[in-house]
Amino acid sequence: MLQVSIRKQIGTRRIRLGAERQAPSGNNERETGQPFRLDVEFTAPSGVTILFGPSGSGKTTCLRAVAGIVTPDEGRISLDERIYFDSASGVNLPIQQRHVGFVFQDYLLFPHLTAEQNVAYGIRAGENSGALSKAAKCERARELLSLLGIEYVARQFPREMSGGESQRVALARALASDPAIVLLDEPLSAVDAKTRARLLVEIKATQQRTGIPFLYVTHNVAEVVEIGDHVIVIEEGQVIRRGNPRQVTLVQSE
Amino acid sequence: MNVFGDSMIWPAFKLSILVTLVATCVVVLLGMAFAFVLAKRKFRGRELLDAIVTLPLVLPPTVTGYYLIVLLGRRGVIGSLIYERTGWSITFTWWAAVIAAAVMALPLMVKSARAAIESVNPQYEIASYTLGKSELETFFRITLPLASRGVLAGVVLSFARALGEFGATLMLAGNIPGKTQTMPLAIYEAVVAGENRQAQILALVLTAVSVTAIYLTNKLTGGRAQEL
Repeated sequence: MLQVSIRKQIGTRRIRLGAERQAPSGNNERETGQPFRLDVEFTAPSGVTILFGPSGSGKTTCLRAVAGIVTPDEGRISLDERIYFDSASGVNLPIQQRHVGFVFQDYLLFPHLTAEQNVAYGIRAGENSGALSKAAKCERARELLSLLGIEYVARQFPREMSGGESQRVALARALASDPAIVLLDEPLSAVDAKTRARLLVEIKATQQRTGIPFLYVTHNVAEVVEIGDHVIVIEEGQVIRRGNPRQVTLVQSE
Repeated sequence: MNVFGDSMIWPAFKLSILVTLVATCVVVLLGMAFAFVLAKRKFRGRELLDAIVTLPLVLPPTVTGYYLIVLLGRRGVIGSLIYERTGWSITFTWWAAVIAAAVMALPLMVKSARAAIESVNPQYEIASYTLGKSELETFFRITLPLASRGVLAGVVLSFARALGEFGATLMLAGNIPGKTQTMPLAIYEAVVAGENRQAQILALVLTAVSVTAIYLTNKLTGGRAQEL
């Protein structure tokens, strides 16, 4: 079970700009609004846990803190027995050692690699079996692609793929690293409604098949209802509600 | 007379190619290391380091050459140490021509490579880290391939710059036919000696290389480069 209890001063609130393309600097965020303080405490048991809230509420920062991309000012993050971050004892595992699978909002598939190579890139060498051969990695990458029903894009480059295909490859790549948890940051914000509905079903099915806990950030109520097992509602850097999707969305719509 | 004259072109051409190739290799290795550090590491004096590496781009080449003599000459800061131990001095050897060419070309490599590395979306690197890859592996497998066009443009520019090096080479390596006389120095000597035909041939060769270099750089940095 993932346990998060973190505090972080956020300099300025950020609003995400277009998810389709990023500026060369990689900064697709625009600074806006007043500084605010992120102060959250939540757990994510098995299944799909949703971090739900409006843009700029701090949910993506939570996700990035779990992955180790941003460092909280203080607090503690642990997954089962492993401590990722603990300001009290000075623990702060580097990103590489956290074994998280991250599905980014804009996928961030490596543009110079094919779908298969993208997925194979993420495959970790076995702890005791040593380095996997290239062929074995490709084989495993194919398996993951077919798990998501997109074996046919294996030799395509990201620029040749549709949004839905890219999204599936991104999920396959995240799963390739054999993660202890999968973190998804608004993974469906850049696909059309029809694809979104289909992908939601697939993401849910993939979670159930792999048994890996998913932590899923979204501001879309439909996604909460469709795939959430647990929901944590974050606003202005605070957890304001938690529970199952029905309870939370009922309150939300009142 | 003509036979003697023509014999000046061939050694100069051979030496130029050798010096330029070795210098370019040095520049690529050093330049990539500088570019990586300047692009990826935040430390005090980073821009100072950038300025020092870039200086030969704006300094008169003879001034750069002068500093190289102060550093590497027989009585130089580093050169004297080498001379005392080994009795050897780098000045007036073809290695001096390599060093002069490398120092003059280094800024172009560092500038191009740094800009190319910095233009790669750092989020790709973060994505690679989440897949368990170290910073070094990420650099070689993600950042460098995505920056390859800019890096290659830097290599081509450096090659062209090293090939054309004159001032600093003259200062540090001298102008010894068959030993340190590269093509640009041979042109100078040919003109001074009134050997217009030789000057013409050498000038045409160097012009052809330069035009090719500009063409390649434009091809590498333009067009599809932005797509990645």
